[in-house]
Parts: sequence; C-alpha cells; structure tokens
Amino acid sequence: MVIVQESDFDGAALQAALREQVGAQAGAIVTFTGYVRDFAPEQSTETLFLEHYPGMCERELHEIAETARQRWQLAGTVIAHRVGALSRQAQIVFVAAASAHRGDAFRGCEYMIDALKTRAPFWKRETLSDGNSFWVQARQADQDRTDAWNTAEASAAD
Amino acid sequence: MSGTTINLLYFARIAELVGKRNEAWPLAEPTTGVQLLAALETRYPDLAPASRLKLAINQTHAKANAPIAPGDEVAIFEPVTGG
Repeated sequence: MVIVQESDFDGAALQAALREQVGAQAGAIVTFTGYVRDFAPEQSTETLFLEHYPGMCERELHEIAETARQRWQLAGTVIAHRVGALSRQAQIVFVAAASAHRGDAFRGCEYMIDALKTRAPFWKRETLSDGNSFWVQARQADQDRTDAWNTAEASAAD
Repeated sequence: MSGTTINLLYFARIAELVGKRNEAWPLAEPTTGVQLLAALETRYPDLAPASRLKLAINQTHAKANAPIAPGDEVAIFEPVTGG
C-alpha cells in the first residue's frame, strides 16, 4: 500500500489494514512513524512545507516497497507520506513491514525509510518560529545509510 | 512539438531560482544530462554550479551522463529531503 496525501493519516488504522491483508502469514509487523521536529533545540520549527513530484514519487515508493518485499520476504508493506503544509509535531511519514519473523520485518522497515529519504522526490521547506525560512539540505548521513544497504546486498550476493 | 523540445520540470529551490515550474526547452538532437545542466546554467546563472543538481528522465532517476532525447520529460532538482 502506497499513499501520498495532504491529509493526516491514522497509523493504527494503517497497521490494522496491513494485518488484515497479510492474515496469518505474518508473525511480526514493524512500523516507523516520522514527525515534524524542531530544527534545533533553540530554534523551533513553525511549519514544514513538503513539495513532491507527483507520479514519479508514487513510482519510487512502489519500487522501494517491492525491493523490500523481495529482499526480506515481506508479506506486505505500507508507505504513507504527507505533502503540503505541516505544523509543528505533525506526522509526516508512516512505514510498516509485515513478515513471518521479526528480523525481516525490522530490516525491511528500516530499509524502506532509509531508501525513501534518498530516492523519493520530496523536498522540505522549513519555516522557523523566528520567521527564517529555507529549503532543507540533504544530509550525507542519510546517503551513507542507503549506500550501506546497497553494500550489504552486494556482499551478500558474493 | 514533442519532436523538437523536451519538457523541463523544476522543483523546490530550483523552481524558485529559475522563477518557473516548467518550460518547453528546445532540443533538436539528443544530448546528455551534463550538457543540459551546462546549458541551463548559462541561461540561469543562479543555478551555478549546476553540476551538483540531480536529474530524472521520464520520471526515473538518471545519471549525469544519461542520454536525453527530444520528447523526454526531464526534472531538475536538488538532492531529495523527504521522510
């Protein structure tokens, strides 16, 4: 299940829908929820604006989910991401992975959120409480995490 | 028209720098991402250095040396920051 929408999502309802979809195949569901956080302890965030590339965005998310399903034998996945203006502490993203066993569910969920951060075409514009506004810059640490998954897959294939 | 242009899409900070979200860009012959970014930097100096920018061709991430043909949809953007 891939959802890109302006409105808020209900993580519990998404998890319940996934559980119903996978039935008794899945002994484990791991979920991740991302929230709007303050830019820095002394610089609180007023609003976060999420822009995206409609079409390509959904395609990338489907591809990320499909890669995770195959690599960790997941029974089902959910990726939900909000766009538009989000207020302080609002929910941004929800990712869930269902699998027979917890290890695959944990790794599949972590892979999906890591891959989303470096591949899915979303951009954040941050407005601080002091009025300062700017486009968020990509972090090398996020790219390093995605690269690490690719390296792990390459060495597993050796 | 699709035989002599590409459809350029700009996102986020790049859309602000060029002052538009899309445009038909003349392209009579195949080119590469590197050549397109260099031409865009000439047209929009605020993009410099344009070599740092990312491309998607027909809604798929593309390397800078990827070929671009007339009729393609080409998106130009900074590294993504979702999640």
